[in-house]
Amino acid sequence: MATTTENIAITPEATEPERDYTYVEDVGNIPRDIYKYVKSDPLGDLPRYSLHIVAQHFLTFLTFLILASTGLTLHFADLWWAPYVMSLFGGPDLARLIHRFAAALMVLASVYHVITLIAGTVQKIMKKQFNISRTQIPILKDIQDITHDIRYFLGKEPYRPKMNKFMYKQKLHYFAIIWGTFVLITAGTTLLYPEMMATIWPNPQFAQDLARLMHADEAIMAITVIVFWHWSNVHLVPGRFPLQWSFITGKITREHQLEEHFMEYLHNLEEIPEEKEYMKKLLKDKGFETK
Amino acid sequence: MKFLTRAFGYCLLPSLAIFLIISFIPASSFASDVGNCLLCHKYPGISRVDEDGKMKLFYVNESIFTNSVHTKVKCEGCHTDITKIPHEPAKKVDCLVECHIVEPSSEKKFSHKDVETFIAKSVHGKIDEKGTEKKYIEDFPECKDCHDNPLYRPLSFFKKVRPGISEASLGRCRVCHKKDEFIYRFYNHITTRLHKSRSPLNIAEVCARCHDDPGIVARHEMSTKAVFSYGETFHGKAAQYLDERVPDCLDCHVNKGESVHQMLSKENPDSSINDKNRGKICTNIDCHPNASPKLATYAVHSEFNLDQSPAQYYFTVFFIILTGGTLLPLMFIILLDIIRRFAPHAMIGRKK
Repeated sequence: MATTTENIAITPEATEPERDYTYVEDVGNIPRDIYKYVKSDPLGDLPRYSLHIVAQHFLTFLTFLILASTGLTLHFADLWWAPYVMSLFGGPDLARLIHRFAAALMVLASVYHVITLIAGTVQKIMKKQFNISRTQIPILKDIQDITHDIRYFLGKEPYRPKMNKFMYKQKLHYFAIIWGTFVLITAGTTLLYPEMMATIWPNPQFAQDLARLMHADEAIMAITVIVFWHWSNVHLVPGRFPLQWSFITGKITREHQLEEHFMEYLHNLEEIPEEKEYMKKLLKDKGFETK
Repeated sequence: MKFLTRAFGYCLLPSLAIFLIISFIPASSFASDVGNCLLCHKYPGISRVDEDGKMKLFYVNESIFTNSVHTKVKCEGCHTDITKIPHEPAKKVDCLVECHIVEPSSEKKFSHKDVETFIAKSVHGKIDEKGTEKKYIEDFPECKDCHDNPLYRPLSFFKKVRPGISEASLGRCRVCHKKDEFIYRFYNHITTRLHKSRSPLNIAEVCARCHDDPGIVARHEMSTKAVFSYGETFHGKAAQYLDERVPDCLDCHVNKGESVHQMLSKENPDSSINDKNRGKICTNIDCHPNASPKLATYAVHSEFNLDQSPAQYYFTVFFIILTGGTLLPLMFIILLDIIRRFAPHAMIGRKK
C-alpha cells in the first residue's frame, strides 16, 4: 500500500496491481526497487545541499565538538579523565575562552543559517518554485511515512515509503537541533552574562538555577543524540557505512536518493536532463521498459 | 710518651672521619630534635595497635617536618607530657600550650591561645550567646579537625616563573644574616603567610569533613551539603582543577581582615554572608567589581535535590525523560532498520 501524493508536479502513478511502479513522462515506469540496479558514485551523484548549508554544517559540527569537549570536561571536573582532557585545552582558563569563542561561532553559524533559509525561501517564492514538500517543514505525509516505514521494517510492506527530500528522521533531528540550540544559547547567555540577564528574567535567581541545569542537561542530551542517532543514521547503519560524503560534497548518491528520498528523485529527473537520460537508458538496459 | 703519641696517631684518623661525617649532616637535622626522638621515630614501621584496636603510626618523616611551619618547635614543645625515654603512651597534643618560641613583637612566650577566644565567639564556638552549651557539642571542631602540620609554601617575585624560594632573594639576606637555617626559615615563614597555604580544593575538602557529613548536616539543620553544592558551581569546578584564584569557602564566609576563626552564622548581622552583606562579597575589587548586589542573590549552594529545590529537581527529571523519550524510540527505529536490512524481502502476513 504505497502512499499517494497527488498534489505535486509529477504524479506518481501506480500502473501495476502491486503499485510498485512510478510512471514518469519521457522516462518510463520506474520500479520502486530500482536503487538496487543504479550506478552510484560514493561521493554523490545528485545535488542535495548548497555550499552555504555545507559551510553551516561544518561550522556547527566543529564548534559542537569543541563545545562538548570543553564543556563536559568542566562539568565533570571530578571524574578521573577530566584533568587529562583539560590539559589538552591548556587548563580551565583557556578552555573557558575556547568554549566562549566556539559558542560565538556557533551562534554566528545559526544566524547564517537563518539568513540562508529566509533568503532562499524568498528567492524560491519569487521564482514560484517554492514547494513545501521539499523543505524541512513537517507535513502530514511524514507521519504516514513513519508508520509505512515501521510497517516495512516489520515485514508488512514490500517497499519503503516514497519520501521527500527530508524524511521524517531528518525533520525530527532538525527540530531537535533548533530546540537544542535555542535552549543552549539561552542558558549559556544567562550563565555568561548573569548581570544583564537578571534584568530580563522575571525571577533571576530561579532562572540562573535553571540555566545551570539546563545548559548541562541539554548538552548531554545533544551529545547522546548526535552520537547514537545522528552518527548512526548518516555513517554507521548498513548502506551508509563507513562514511557518507554528503556533508563534504553536498551531493547524495543516486542509490540513497532513490531509496530514501524517492519524491526528491522525481524532482531531480525533472530538473536534470542528464539524469533523465541516465534513467531512461537504465530502464531500457535492465528491461524494465517493457513492463 | 711513645705510647701516647702512638695512641694519638691511632685515634687521629677515626676522630677526623667522625668529625667529617658530623659536619656533613644537613643542618636541618639539628632543627628540633633536641630530645633525639628520631632515634626511634625515624623508622617508617614504628606503630602500635591501641586499646580500641586502631592502628597508630608514630613515624615522623624528618624531611617533611623540617619543611613544615613547626620546624623550629622541638618535639617536647607540643608533646609536653613526654619527659623521659622510653615514654608512656603520649597524650593528645594541646595546640594552645605556650611553647618555648618567643613571639618577637611582645617578647612573650608564643601560644595559639587567642584562637580559643576567637573560636568561642564564632559560629564554631561551643557556647551560644546566652552562655548555654550548644546541642551536639561533640560535632564542633577542634584545632586538629581542620589543621595539620602544614608545609611551608614559599613565594618568590624575583624574576622567576617557578614557585618556591628564589636564590636571588636569599642572596640579599645573606649580606646581613649569617645563618642559612635562619634565612630559609624566615623566608619561608614570611612568604608562606603572604598567600594562602592551601588551594581552594584543599580548603573545601577540610570543610567537607563536617559540612558534607549527612549526619552532621541533619543534626544541625544546615540547609545544604555545603561542599557538594559548591562543587556544582563554576567556582567549585575550577577548584577541582586546582585553580588558586577562585573563591573557596573562607573567601566568602570570613569578613575581610578577620581570621577564619571568627566566622559568624548567616543570621548574625555582622556576618559576611548575612543577606545585608552578601553583595559586598561578590563585588570585591578582586572578584566581580562591576557586579550589582543582585549577583549575590543567586543561589550558591543549590543542590537541586527533591527536598531543597523541587522545581529544579523536576526540571532535571523532565530533561532525563526528554532525553530517554527521544533517544530510545529513535534507536528502536534504527534497530528495526538494521534487522530489516538482513532480510529485505521477508514478508509477514502476506505474500509478495
